[in-house]
Amino acid sequence: MSSLVKCPHCGSRPREEFTVRGEVATPRPVAGADESIWFDHVYLRDNPRGQHREYWHHSGGCRRWLVLDRNTVTHETSNVVDASTLKAEGRA
Amino acid sequence: MRDFLLNNVSPFPAKPDANGHAAVHIAPVSAGFVIHVLGNGAPDESGLTKVLGDIAPDLGGGLRSPSPGQWFWVGDCDISQGRFAEIAGHMPAEFALSDQTHGRVRIMLSGAKVRDVLIKGTMVDLADDVFAVGASAMTMIGHIGAMITRTDVECFEIMVLRSFAESLWHELDQMAAEFNQPHGI
Repeated sequence: MSSLVKCPHCGSRPREEFTVRGEVATPRPVAGADESIWFDHVYLRDNPRGQHREYWHHSGGCRRWLVLDRNTVTHETSNVVDASTLKAEGRA
Repeated sequence: MRDFLLNNVSPFPAKPDANGHAAVHIAPVSAGFVIHVLGNGAPDESGLTKVLGDIAPDLGGGLRSPSPGQWFWVGDCDISQGRFAEIAGHMPAEFALSDQTHGRVRIMLSGAKVRDVLIKGTMVDLADDVFAVGASAMTMIGHIGAMITRTDVECFEIMVLRSFAESLWHELDQMAAEFNQPHGI
C-alpha cells in the first residue's frame, strides 16, 4: 500500500490512519429488484488488475468516509474525495 | 439531557510531571473544559465563534476542528454542569453540544526538544511554516488516537480519550527518555 494518502480534509496522512472498506459497488438496485440483481450487488466483486475505486475510512483522523482510486499493481492512490460527494451525484 | 453528575477525575498519578527530561517537560492540564460541538449542515467556524462569544463571553477558549463541521471548544476555566446546560440551551438549532471534559484529557508538552519527541510518534508535519501556533490535527501517536495542537512555538497540547491517557503518558515519557539528565546531575 502507498504509505501516504491525501485526505481531502486532513492533508497527507500515513496509511495506518485509514481502514479500507472495499470496492465502491454499482449504485444500489431498487428495493423490488430481482433477487439475482441484489445477489450481484451484495456479494459479487471484481478483482481487477490496475485502477480500483474503493471506500476508505479515515478512522485515525477526521473519521470521514472517503472514496479513492487505488492501483492494485503499484498501490498508488489518487482522486481522493469525501464519500458524501457520491451521494450528492447520485452514484452511491 | 442526562440526570447524573459526571466526575472529572485526573487519570494521572499525583506527581506526574516529576520527570527527569531536561529539554522536554510533560505535564497534565488539570483545569478547564472540553466541549464537543457538532454542526448540522455546513456551519462555518467564524459564525460559531461569534455564537459562543455572545452566549459565554467570560469563558474564552479556542476551537479545534477534528473533522468537517465538528469542533472541540477548549478553555482553561472550570465550568459547572449547570452552566453547561445553560449554554447548551442557548445554542442555535444547527449546533449540538456534548460536554467531554470528563472523557478527554489534555497533556502539555513543552521545551526545546518537544518536536524531536513528537515526531517519533506522529507523521504530521510539525514544521513552523506548516503547523503554526494555533494549528491542530486529529491524528495518531503510535497506535493511540490523539489531537495535537500547537499552543506556542515550543509548546504542544495533546488531547486524548481518558482511558488511553495513562498509556499515552507512558509512551511520551519513553519518547522523551533520550533527553533524560544523566544520573547525579
